[in-house]
Amino acid sequence: MVKGWLAADHAPVERMVPVARRNLFAEKGRFAMSVAGLAFAVLLILIVVSLYRGWSRTGSVYEKLPGDVWLAQAGTIDPFHSTSLLPSGEQAQLERVPGVLAVLPVYARHLAISTRKGRRLDVYALAIEPPRAFAIPADARTFLPPRGRVVVDRVLAGEAGVGVGDRLDVLGRTLTVAALTSGGNKIIQFAFFNAADGKALLGEPGQVSYYLLATKPGADLTTVGRAAAAAVPNSEPHTSAEFANAFSALVSAGFLSVVGVLVGIGFVVGGAVIALTTYTATVEKARDYGVLKAIGAQGGFVYRIVVRQSLIVGLAGSLVGILAAAVAADLIARWVPEFVTDLRGLDVCAVFGGALLMSIVASFVPVHRLNRIDPAIVFRA
Amino acid sequence: MTPPLLRVEKLTKVFGAGRTQVTAVDSVDLASDRGEITLVMGPSGSGKTTLLTMIGCLLRPTSGRVEIDGLDITALPAREQPRVRRTLVGFVFQTFNLLDTLTAEENVEVALNIAGIKGAPAAARARALLEAAGLAGRLDFPAAGLSAGERQRVAIARALANDPPLVLADEPTANLDSTHGRETMELLRELAKGRRCGAVVVSHDERLRAIADRVVWLEDGRVTHAEEAQAAAPVRRSAARGGSFGSV
Repeated sequence: MVKGWLAADHAPVERMVPVARRNLFAEKGRFAMSVAGLAFAVLLILIVVSLYRGWSRTGSVYEKLPGDVWLAQAGTIDPFHSTSLLPSGEQAQLERVPGVLAVLPVYARHLAISTRKGRRLDVYALAIEPPRAFAIPADARTFLPPRGRVVVDRVLAGEAGVGVGDRLDVLGRTLTVAALTSGGNKIIQFAFFNAADGKALLGEPGQVSYYLLATKPGADLTTVGRAAAAAVPNSEPHTSAEFANAFSALVSAGFLSVVGVLVGIGFVVGGAVIALTTYTATVEKARDYGVLKAIGAQGGFVYRIVVRQSLIVGLAGSLVGILAAAVAADLIARWVPEFVTDLRGLDVCAVFGGALLMSIVASFVPVHRLNRIDPAIVFRA
Repeated sequence: MTPPLLRVEKLTKVFGAGRTQVTAVDSVDLASDRGEITLVMGPSGSGKTTLLTMIGCLLRPTSGRVEIDGLDITALPAREQPRVRRTLVGFVFQTFNLLDTLTAEENVEVALNIAGIKGAPAAARARALLEAAGLAGRLDFPAAGLSAGERQRVAIARALANDPPLVLADEPTANLDSTHGRETMELLRELAKGRRCGAVVVSHDERLRAIADRVVWLEDGRVTHAEEAQAAAPVRRSAARGGSFGSV
């Protein structure tokens, strides 16, 4: 008889009664509010992260320019914090450095461009002077406009209220907008001039800002950079990737901690929403859990119901939040281009995983309450 | 000699200590076998429900022992008690205690899930039990939408889901009108006689004497007298309900 009793449990087969789902959907209003609360938290987290990513990639425009190594004045931190001045006329010397294909003098500086409404925009302007024999890569040609033309990023175009074919006044010269590029943001915008215009607008007589070195295929950038720096007194090399990362580092230094705090707050708020919902639902259904315990449910069976409830809210809230973030990022890109967003799949996956983890953690909140439910509650009328 | 299905020996429960100490159940002896219905009667506060709670492995006695099907459940560790409740005992409550967010079928199925039976076999058994309880047309009804009589029938089907040898019923007719009370009595009688279950029924309802094989009178936690019924009176079968638990 005792053996029979011990053998009375059966092997698991398949579907079970969806108690968690039924409990949640029985209170549709509360379920919708919980999902909305978590979705809002996920939306905020993703928008903050995508803004951070978007701003961080601002410097990537440097990797699109026709060269790999930048020779700058010694002590140059990055293009945005330092002014670099090198003697002009060093091209022939640099062209003799092994691994160098072409040498492109660059004229660059921050300057103010006035908008039609009288606003002065802080623009980082560059003019690159390619040698005549140099075949400019197709994707870099955009940044080398003909004389009298200027290429600006979309944020600058939006701020200045100009489009392709419009005229832009720069330090007394009127230039026609030849093309729009990506890369600008609320902090900094880029303008690319023809070398002749650049010399006049940006250059100091007898000096250039940088030498941009196009290297031969397979050349070691570090070796080329060192040799080039040895050829020009008081200079130091930086790769395009280093300059590109400089803005990313600038954004990280200024905003990463803020982003971290905002993301943390987002997760705490999301977790609190799930924990509160799960706890309230557990308290309200205490008698039901008592009934389940009374008819033989182990703690694990009851706890799984609570975890499932929590996960359903987490899953639904995350998916709605991700969808809302994708829509919001798209709308921001259209309506407020200076807030550059970059919603990356990996970030979405991380936030999704984080939200699900948060759901599981939040389901621990009512565990103590669940454990305290006395199954004998079923005999109380 | 085969031991009785249920044997209760010197069962005692004391609550509190010192001046607030209360002996709710005091040295109760009881025995019941398969196919028998034991009716425990007594005034409010006499310890009936406490006795039932201890037999149902929901409350540890202060002393004494309870054996079900030869197993001393009072000696089991706490982690084994849920297993007793899902395999050896079926509960029928005064307030039905159905899960209102589930359908009638799901309320029975969840008891099977707890015992590890899932999917189609669980659904099929739940349907068969509810059909036997005359609720074939109410399978997908939310529990909250059923009448009191229907709810109690679902509760009885749930109690039988895992085919327990013993059914414990606490005031099963108290919240029912006379018609539904009679139906419930009929079901209890069927499960005792048809399925050869033992049943311990706690009630104030004198009508239940009609189906009891033994009546035990409890007062101040003590059995004051017990009587064997001469012959259980036949219960008029409800025309509204078909089927029988005996075959499920």
